[in-house]
Amino acid sequence: MDKQMELLQGTLDMLILKAVSLGPLHGYGILLRIQQISKDRLEIQQGSLYPALYRLEHQGWIASEWGESENKRKAKYYRLTAAGRRKLQTEAEKWNRMADLIEGILGTTAEEV
Amino acid sequence: MSLWSRARSWLGAVTKRSRMEREMDAELRFHIEAFAEDLVRRGVLREEALRRARIEFGGVERAKEECREARGANFLESLIQDARFGLRMLRKNPGFTSVAVLTLALGIAVNTAVFTAFDALVLRPRPVKDPDSLVAVFRTTPGDARGRFSYPDYIYFRDRSKSFSDLSLFAFGMALTSSDLPPTGPEARSRLAGAVGFQLPQLLQGSAQPVVAVFVSGNYFQMLGAVPLRGRLLVPADDQLGSSPVVLMSGNFWQRQFHSDPKVVGSVLHLNGVPFTVVGVTPVDYMGTLPNVPSLWAPVAAKVRVGGLAAENLENRLLIAGMPAGRLKPGVSLSDAQAELDVLAAQLRIAHPEDEKNTGVLLLPDRNDAAMLGPEEWALVGAAMSAVGLLLLIACANVASLLLARAAVRHKEIAVRLAIGASRGRLLRQLLTESILIALFAGAAGLPLAAWLLHLLIVEIASALPSAWGTIALQVSPDVRIFAYALLVSCAAGIAFGLAPALQASKPDVNSALKAEGTLFGRRLSRSRLRGLLIAGQMAACLVLLISSTLLLRGSQRALEIDAGFESRHVVCLEIINPANLRYPQARMLQANRDLIRGIASVPGVRSVAQASRDPVGGIRWVPVAPVEAAASASASHESQTTGAGYSYVTPNYFDTLRIPILRGRVFTPSEAEGQAPVVVISEATARRFWPGEDAIGKHLKIGLEKGTMFYPGEKDPFIPSSAVIGVARDVRSMDLRRIDESYVYLPLSQSRQWTRILLARTEADPRQLLPAFGHEVQRVDASLPVVGAPLCTMISMDPFFVVSRVGGLLASIVGALGLLLVCMGVYGMVSYTVAQRTHEIGIRMALGARGTQVLKLIAHEGLRPILAGMLIGIVASAGVSRLLAAMLFGLNLLDAFSFFGVSLLLGGVALVATLLPARRATKVDPMVALRYE
Repeated sequence: MDKQMELLQGTLDMLILKAVSLGPLHGYGILLRIQQISKDRLEIQQGSLYPALYRLEHQGWIASEWGESENKRKAKYYRLTAAGRRKLQTEAEKWNRMADLIEGILGTTAEEV
Repeated sequence: MSLWSRARSWLGAVTKRSRMEREMDAELRFHIEAFAEDLVRRGVLREEALRRARIEFGGVERAKEECREARGANFLESLIQDARFGLRMLRKNPGFTSVAVLTLALGIAVNTAVFTAFDALVLRPRPVKDPDSLVAVFRTTPGDARGRFSYPDYIYFRDRSKSFSDLSLFAFGMALTSSDLPPTGPEARSRLAGAVGFQLPQLLQGSAQPVVAVFVSGNYFQMLGAVPLRGRLLVPADDQLGSSPVVLMSGNFWQRQFHSDPKVVGSVLHLNGVPFTVVGVTPVDYMGTLPNVPSLWAPVAAKVRVGGLAAENLENRLLIAGMPAGRLKPGVSLSDAQAELDVLAAQLRIAHPEDEKNTGVLLLPDRNDAAMLGPEEWALVGAAMSAVGLLLLIACANVASLLLARAAVRHKEIAVRLAIGASRGRLLRQLLTESILIALFAGAAGLPLAAWLLHLLIVEIASALPSAWGTIALQVSPDVRIFAYALLVSCAAGIAFGLAPALQASKPDVNSALKAEGTLFGRRLSRSRLRGLLIAGQMAACLVLLISSTLLLRGSQRALEIDAGFESRHVVCLEIINPANLRYPQARMLQANRDLIRGIASVPGVRSVAQASRDPVGGIRWVPVAPVEAAASASASHESQTTGAGYSYVTPNYFDTLRIPILRGRVFTPSEAEGQAPVVVISEATARRFWPGEDAIGKHLKIGLEKGTMFYPGEKDPFIPSSAVIGVARDVRSMDLRRIDESYVYLPLSQSRQWTRILLARTEADPRQLLPAFGHEVQRVDASLPVVGAPLCTMISMDPFFVVSRVGGLLASIVGALGLLLVCMGVYGMVSYTVAQRTHEIGIRMALGARGTQVLKLIAHEGLRPILAGMLIGIVASAGVSRLLAAMLFGLNLLDAFSFFGVSLLLGGVALVATLLPARRATKVDPMVALRYE
């Protein structure tokens, strides 16, 4: 297993949106899904997850309701709203553009300058 | 969408806080337990799994706090917390709190009261239905844009114009006599007005009591959309010459004179001997379009019945009858109406080429009385408004410097809170909350204070006016907008000045603050500079107020000392009010006049009694005057020689009674006066104007015009084609105390043919003591004569120059004195604070051998610098302000040394005392105690 990487600032929101875009999840479930998708290579501060969830809900990108968990316990489930879906799309595009840009800059060789 | 969900989430957070807390708890617990269960599944012991899950999760409380913040729930919660903490801090410092709150409350209250009074008396739209569609109509002639209307002209426009739903006429008021009213005692005098130096002429005891009635056209109330309190209002049918006489009573008069007796409606009231039926009562304080509340309202036709107007004068196009006001029909604009009336005026000029040659019409909005104020009234208003505005500024500056001092004291507390992890924003919010709390408390205290001041102000203004002038409306409550404005200003000041120290305090070097070294050895904090600036500003503002008030008061004092050109201290002016009310035939009036003169002259202590058609103070009337012989000098012959001159018919002893010296020639002989010979005595200025460098005696003047201009009832101007100048009298100041009358002519009065309302009696001693005896004589001659009497010198106190400068000066000095108190508190506070802050340093200095006087000097120096700077600024600013005042009030001494240096010295001295008192404490510092402080 590779060494765990710390999350880049500001990317947690995008990851949460991505995680819930695949289906409604409770907080712990979101954490597990991000770890699963990233193949455990990302380290997420568990304590910072919930403020992010509350912030996203406050902004209207995700919505929550109480439901029952796999082991029959009451849990709060988050799902993506229509606004959240648009937000995820624009954020993803932004991220890809930025990644391309950075990659291009870093890949520049002396001859190309 | 997003905004809505955010608001809903915030609202939910605020309203369902406990539910949110429960849910948050459950959610986090679920997370930790689920995590622990996963660990258990991987073979970790349950106890150990829970422990590991909690560690992995991190600080639960911090996460919760961040969650709350993320939802915006924290805002209200921390606001309540801040307010609670702020209240506790304010309670712990009762001295600081009460001074700050009282200071601001005073500033807010004075501003609210003065601005509300002005707004209510002048700016507020008339309390009538839809005031915006009311317009005032003026008759314009060259040189007079605000002329009044004659009755036939009013009828002409009323019947022809289509722009108005109603065009009404206000035909002035008149003091009537009524035999149905209980006699009242001497009028209660306003204490304040008396203290200030105003003495309005008083009705002589024993003479008849007048009642003020105003005359309006029958459609007046219909135009205003008024509602009666009892009975009915006046209607157009009442305003016919043949209709039975009716009168409407004001609610105030009904309460005062009839104790709200409902049987008054329908009863008969005799006015000038004519029985009138009372048809109704208007609501209390109802003023219509007037500036005050009259006692009675009557139709214009009633003016003919009571003798105020001859019936044939309703046809006279040159007799001034009143001021029209109209209500525009819906959809008609002011300019539409103006255009229509312009056309009608042009037709009128053609129809009556002689009388209406120059007639034009001007329409103006009639929402309120602001347009009626003259430049001198505006000057007074401006001075009062600026003065109270300055007071609010001083109050704000004072609170600001108090806040600065407090911030310094709390330096350590703030450093501690920062050290244990409070965020800077949170601290700022906390400090600002305290400032705003102070402003809010000040507002709560200021509102009742404003109401009380307003009541005092209005009651005093009201009681200063003789009841015969009508009443001013008393129900005025503090204006909410103005109060909100003053509160906002003080809140803003609290925030602005709370912010500076808060910003400063919240970024201290935590270490040095905790070690209490921040203030060691005269280290000049920019905070102390800001405080110095505030003190200097207050000082300057206060000095401006005090110097202007001194200038104004000294100006008003000078007005009383001005030599008016005639004897004013020992002459009583007696005036018969509205003799037309008595409806006496000419012969009886002449007899009453003669009897009165004989009676007054017989009172011991009276030297002589003269008769005049105009009173010598302010009662000027103009007549066109031109020399019959052309002036010798070539330059004068080019310009038009006709000028307006004040005139009065006088008896030969007038000059001697008033001690007006005859410089050349002589006065009328008794036979010239009796025969009204074409002779005239003119003033020096008149002689200089027409015959510069020549002897005026023997020259001739044409007085008056063959064709009369507009005139008031009973006051037709004289016309003498050629009158010989027989004497030149010294100039007087009858119209305006500040300058001599430009021209004045004295015409001979025939005692067997003319009666006058004015009698002038010169006395040996103080004439005030003789007033009761005069009243007794009036009663003996004819008890139904209403006579007012006052020494001429007290009538001078009604001169606008005196009134404006005296009232303005008093207001400014009251406000200035309050400002001085605030400045002293500010200086005292600043110096005490400096001493407290530098105790440690002073201790070291004294331990090293500094003497008490040296320490005193050190501290006083610090305190005096901003004071001196402020005084310098204040003096320069005052010079500018006095220039402004002088531009508005001709007659002020611009650079009055006493006002400038005397007041500066006084203020400086008071500030010095305020500095030295706390500075002395510095010399009492015990070095040992001060050093142990560390």
